[in-house]
Amino acid sequence: MTAALIPGIHLSATLAEPAHFSGLEKISLLIGIAISLVLFFWRFGPILRTIFRSKKDNDFSLHPIRRRLWDFVWEVLCQGKVIRQRPLPGLAHAFVFWGFLAFALVSLNHIANAVGLGFLNPASDLGTFYFFFAAAWALLVAVSITALFVRRFFVRPIWLGEKVSYESGVIAFLIFLLMVSYLGAFFVDASGTAVKVLWWTHTLTLLVFLPLIPHTKHLHLVISPFTVFLKRDGFSRIPPLSGDEDFGLVSGKDVTQLISLQVYSCVECGRCTEHCPASNTGKVLNPKEIILGTRSYLNEFGPASETSLLTDMREVPSNNPAAKYMSMEAAFECTTCGSCEYQCPVGIQHLPIIIGLRRGATNTGAWEDTHGTKLFLALEKHGNALGLSAMERDKFIQKQAFPIFDGTQEYCLWLGCMGGYDPKGREIIADFARVMQYLGTTFGVLKKEKCTGDPARRLGNDLVFQTMAEFGLKAFETAKVQKIVAICPHCVRTISNDWREYGIAPEIEHHSEFMARHKARLPKQDSGESIVYHDPCYLGRYRDVYEEPREIVSLAGELVEAPRSHERSFCCGAGGGLAFLGEESGERVSHVRAAELAGTGAQIVGTACPFCNTMFRDALSAMGEAPPQLLDIAQLTARALPASEMRTGEQ
Amino acid sequence: MKILVAIKQVPERDAQISIAADGRWIDESDLSYTINEPDAYALEEALQLKEKNGGEVVVLCAGPERVTSTLREALAKGADRAIHIEADDLGERDTLGIAQLLADAARAESPDLILTGLQSDDLGLGQTGVVLAELLGIPHATIIMQVEVTTAGLKVKRELEDGWFQYVEMPLPALLTIQSGGNKLRYATLMGIKKAKTKETKTVQAAPATAAQAITLERVYLPEKQKKTEILTGTPAEVAAKLVEKLKFEVRAI
Repeated sequence: MTAALIPGIHLSATLAEPAHFSGLEKISLLIGIAISLVLFFWRFGPILRTIFRSKKDNDFSLHPIRRRLWDFVWEVLCQGKVIRQRPLPGLAHAFVFWGFLAFALVSLNHIANAVGLGFLNPASDLGTFYFFFAAAWALLVAVSITALFVRRFFVRPIWLGEKVSYESGVIAFLIFLLMVSYLGAFFVDASGTAVKVLWWTHTLTLLVFLPLIPHTKHLHLVISPFTVFLKRDGFSRIPPLSGDEDFGLVSGKDVTQLISLQVYSCVECGRCTEHCPASNTGKVLNPKEIILGTRSYLNEFGPASETSLLTDMREVPSNNPAAKYMSMEAAFECTTCGSCEYQCPVGIQHLPIIIGLRRGATNTGAWEDTHGTKLFLALEKHGNALGLSAMERDKFIQKQAFPIFDGTQEYCLWLGCMGGYDPKGREIIADFARVMQYLGTTFGVLKKEKCTGDPARRLGNDLVFQTMAEFGLKAFETAKVQKIVAICPHCVRTISNDWREYGIAPEIEHHSEFMARHKARLPKQDSGESIVYHDPCYLGRYRDVYEEPREIVSLAGELVEAPRSHERSFCCGAGGGLAFLGEESGERVSHVRAAELAGTGAQIVGTACPFCNTMFRDALSAMGEAPPQLLDIAQLTARALPASEMRTGEQ
Repeated sequence: MKILVAIKQVPERDAQISIAADGRWIDESDLSYTINEPDAYALEEALQLKEKNGGEVVVLCAGPERVTSTLREALAKGADRAIHIEADDLGERDTLGIAQLLADAARAESPDLILTGLQSDDLGLGQTGVVLAELLGIPHATIIMQVEVTTAGLKVKRELEDGWFQYVEMPLPALLTIQSGGNKLRYATLMGIKKAKTKETKTVQAAPATAAQAITLERVYLPEKQKKTEILTGTPAEVAAKLVEKLKFEVRAI
């Protein structure tokens, strides 16, 4: 158990370790370690304090522990998300990470040697194996970090930010130095001065590296494994408000421990912004900057502050260009498409933060927006987001001769605002009803139905949302509904997930899931038409339903994939209540996506969400000559049904 | 400035109205109620005046227990206090009777300004505010679009017919009946609802109705639909002339 001397002169076969350390060297080392640790905790201590002093997450539970363990293994140990979302740099990062893990023992042994406590003998079989194993990793790390360095400083992808991060360069250099000084020890004699130089270089690099961690975004090395393990259960999960003084994220005192932990974990990779539909179309919103803005806020004001989080309502120095990212304008540009949260490799959950900021602004009345107010008043007064008289829905039901749900039917067909009031949504509902009739499935509609509250929920109006949720839950209970099917992914998500705060709704599914289950009995069409399918955010990322609608599309024609599809699908621009707000600044999200879909050359654009449908209807018609046809999957199916089932879908 | 806003609770606009069995009133059993729309604008005007000039906004509503929900909503939007005149027999009281109830409560408050909607969505008589002003002996102005506080009192903009407006200066205390659409309404917020819980709602019992009502309600009925087809004959010019005449004087569509 001592740092054994190396007898041979087989220079390249074993790792050379210094044979002797003088008393001065030992003392210098101990002082060096002490300084390094003090500098580390100098910054890390306050960060930990900020996190622990933040408000408790009242809804936190370790509960699905298996899911947490799995996320930890997959996202942290396997680096699954890092690699999957950006394969090449992801793999380079994974090599560095795995290399660090392999290196942990080597580094411990390295320092321990100086005080005579080395535990890995380079001459032993185990030692030989392990040091060569680590050497292989050191080589991979050295190559990877060089590649990442080249990417950051020469290729310079815009997502890493406009400013070059010199600290990252320093860190990359230190990592490189660590590896080289380790590998070098394979080529020197154990008794010479070269081995000492290498040993001290390696040691000093380690001692400089340690305090840099909490001072830079490399803090993620230490805390992101916890962040990934502890993140809130569920995608885009909006926590319940607690008590009479909680209106969402108004100021520092509303920032919870999980949010603090998450914002300090940010590694500024910019994946969130890379995929953000708002950032990509020239809006102010930049999800990465929201995270960094929250972090700077915590650094400046602390977690007990009553100062407003949004920069609209606090004094900001005029030379602070980052202030705009924490503005109300930015917060209300989010379509809640979730691509930021979906691919964050360090477990940051952006949506509860962005929607939290909106709640803080809306629940207190600070958000004054003509269209937003109109929407909320329409929901208060008419119970639907389109602001039409509820009688319009009654008339539509009568015209379609939809039966009223009375407990004898299998399904309750949820119309939703689009299906009940919007002309195109009505066509989709009518066609889906025909499909159900064709399949012999009995269904009925609710006599009275109000919006699920989805747009109010995402725009941060908890009062309207609660009113809608409670009305809906009661309506299902009174009618004794067991199973619900809906054409709108927003309704499905809100009823099945967000309503849980107020009660348990009956089981609900999206019409793509229903139809896919019965696909064997649905007609296969030999249309030969090419159909490009657009994944709605609330069906894909929010519900993990990707294949069912594709199965339906494949029945109707030849499925074509858009350049961005599945979990990488690009938003239509309607979500988060934005369909009801005013004109966008910059390019329209819907136009960008519609052009991408049309660019595939497909004859038909297939949708599975009435909001996507209505966004693309406008966008495609603005594109000029011969745009592709636009059909919901229900329409794609219904068009092949025998004529006897025909009932006019025209509204 | 102390502003009193007299509001009324009416059936929701989309409500399916049916007539009660005795044919004297609508069937109230399955109805949802909301604030009378012009009254919502009166409340908004009061809140904006308070935000500009300071003071207090008190909301006043007569009716059965259910009207407290409308009062709570007014408190949530920013009114400071509420007064509920509890009366289950509003249908049996005429305009004067109801105005008397409101006047009794208003006298106890002695406000600087009383606002109310210009008429109600259900009965649409447009009388209550005016009668109330008369009972209190204060000046009034009707169909108000804009209110401005001046040193002498008020300067208000009235809507006349045919796109004409009239500006009136008047002293305080006064009563105004507010037209819909002059302001943008605000949405109720969670914070407002939470604050409303701590605000005072005073309940007063309505004085018994006097026996002799000036107006008695005989029958309530839904508009009766008529379908009439008439073929106009003659030369195109004659037919056109007849059509214009009918549209003008019979249907009064042009």
